[in-house]
Amino acid sequence: MESSRPVRSCAIAGGKRRLHTTFPDGLEIVEEYDINSYELLSRRVKKTVELGEGKWELEVGEPPSSFNPESDLMIASSTNPIFIRKDLPTEFQWRIRNLPYPFDVYSVTGDSSTSKITIRTSNKKYFKIFEITDLFRKRLRLIPDLIRYTHQFNTLIITYPKPREILLEEAEMRRQLEEARKTRGNKPPQDGDVECVQQ
Amino acid sequence: MIQAPKVQDMKDLTRMERIGAHSHIRGLGLDDSLEARQVSQGMVGQMEARRSAGVILNMIKEGKIAGRAILIAGQPGTGKTAIAMGMAKALGDDTPFTMMAGSEIFSLEMSKTEALTQALRRSIGVRIKEEAEIIEGEVVEIEIERSVTSGAKAGKLILKTTEMETVYDLGAKMIEQLQREKVVAGDVITIDKASSKISKLGRSFARASDYDAMGAQARFVQCPEGELEKRKEVVHTVTLHEIDVINSRAQGFLALFAGDTGEIRSEVREQIDQRVAEWREEGKAEIVPGVLFIDEVHMLDIECFSFLNRAMESDAAPIIIMATNRGFAQIRGTKYRGAHGVPIDLLDRSLIIMTRPYTEEEIRSILKIRCEEEDVEMTEEALDLLTTIGLDTSLRYSIQLITTSSLVARKRKASEVDVPDVRRVYSLFIDLKRSQQYLKEYESEYMFSEVQG
Repeated sequence: MESSRPVRSCAIAGGKRRLHTTFPDGLEIVEEYDINSYELLSRRVKKTVELGEGKWELEVGEPPSSFNPESDLMIASSTNPIFIRKDLPTEFQWRIRNLPYPFDVYSVTGDSSTSKITIRTSNKKYFKIFEITDLFRKRLRLIPDLIRYTHQFNTLIITYPKPREILLEEAEMRRQLEEARKTRGNKPPQDGDVECVQQ
Repeated sequence: MIQAPKVQDMKDLTRMERIGAHSHIRGLGLDDSLEARQVSQGMVGQMEARRSAGVILNMIKEGKIAGRAILIAGQPGTGKTAIAMGMAKALGDDTPFTMMAGSEIFSLEMSKTEALTQALRRSIGVRIKEEAEIIEGEVVEIEIERSVTSGAKAGKLILKTTEMETVYDLGAKMIEQLQREKVVAGDVITIDKASSKISKLGRSFARASDYDAMGAQARFVQCPEGELEKRKEVVHTVTLHEIDVINSRAQGFLALFAGDTGEIRSEVREQIDQRVAEWREEGKAEIVPGVLFIDEVHMLDIECFSFLNRAMESDAAPIIIMATNRGFAQIRGTKYRGAHGVPIDLLDRSLIIMTRPYTEEEIRSILKIRCEEEDVEMTEEALDLLTTIGLDTSLRYSIQLITTSSLVARKRKASEVDVPDVRRVYSLFIDLKRSQQYLKEYESEYMFSEVQG
């Protein structure tokens, strides 16, 4: 019998702590954290599909921008708004770069029933609906009143505070990793270290 | 009654298709009550055979009955393959229809039963719902530039919805496709990211003006709403064989394109069957039973026949349609002769449809349809002559004279094919009967004629 708990493994590679989680339904998540600050640098998700292999999708972090006009299909031009998620220790944060319009053009609204956030522009230049996958996976509700947004340096920044459940879980992970480091003789983490995190 | 001159459909120049032997067939030519119309959808005559094919068609469409066999039997050139083609067209693209010739299964790389199993599984479709990433928007601007030095193309495409606008840089493949589809500003298009297929939904209402000269097919649609890039649930049909191949090898679906599928282990097939059954229970997938058409079925041997007998009993079997032009013939792999070259146990399990030789009037109609299909204009007299030739020799021979005589007519700069042109090709190319006649006369002058056993 397969266990109904997600399987986790953690290793340090390339100066980053890489956490690989496989859920019982086949969903795979690879997260990369900064070694020292535990900051989430990137997160890739692979869902299961009926036919063939699923594709890795970037959820957090900067997308690699490489475009080969010979073989690639098409790509949004680099002058377009770029949507990036970059978390802070206590907040989820999204940054949309290349948005040169004044602050009053934007409106950011949340829908508590669908747990989705909608960005609109009154000049009809940018529009996006997205969900906070972290909340979705933990089956937590979105509280629209907590969404904040500012605009500076051509960037629209949207923040949403991490709920208590997620903060606690992250603190627990940090504690376990600290402990594991202590059992290895209190050395600073280095490449090749293998750590294990229980959930 | 005055007949309005028929306006020829505009031919799409970018997508030239070659004209095959049965490319004039668009369906079975039946009306709603399954009665065959004399001339319809490229089919002529064979009323009874078409009516029975229509009944079979309904059985396939209902999809409840598995593993029935139908045998279409008739003399050469009486429209057996045409009826099968008509059924395939009438079923539409969504129902798997596998066409194979009986001799196809004899390969050195694969056993006969494996080839048959693959053909059977290719004829069962599975309709799966999947999420696909698509880009849907109205074209605001499209710019394609060609570099003077290297000839490489660079392009930019601006798409918008009611809410947003995005600029895209285009790759070479995409530019080629956009040009082929003749996408211009104001079109509403969707691009499937996985398959990179572009489809035009229509013209945007915002761009509609009274002065535009539009073709009859021009459709006006609203500018899409919301995000440009979205996920949509799409339904696509794959065959069991394709799922087998994807799962049987490490490299996955690439083997499908390479065609190098080899033999597939039965464990893999069992697993797939189980998984498909699970999907069905979960409501993720739906089974679409299709049709396996085996032409020249007398080319199969006794092992294949007994394998088919067994395979037909499985409840995942498709409808098997066979065609043969043999009367009493030897059953391959045995010393025995059987009707249609098929053993009686299989014949007993089949419904048999007979096709009959065409009448003069029918031959004339078929030739007329072929003339239209091959873009040849012909005078009535020439058509009369061709019909007589067709009656006298064979339908296939007279069909082959259509294009050849039109080439001769073009040589003398005539727009229509006339009697002398047909006469000329008739004398240039001899038919089967004359060839036999000639051989009989001069047999003694050919090589090895004296070693007659």
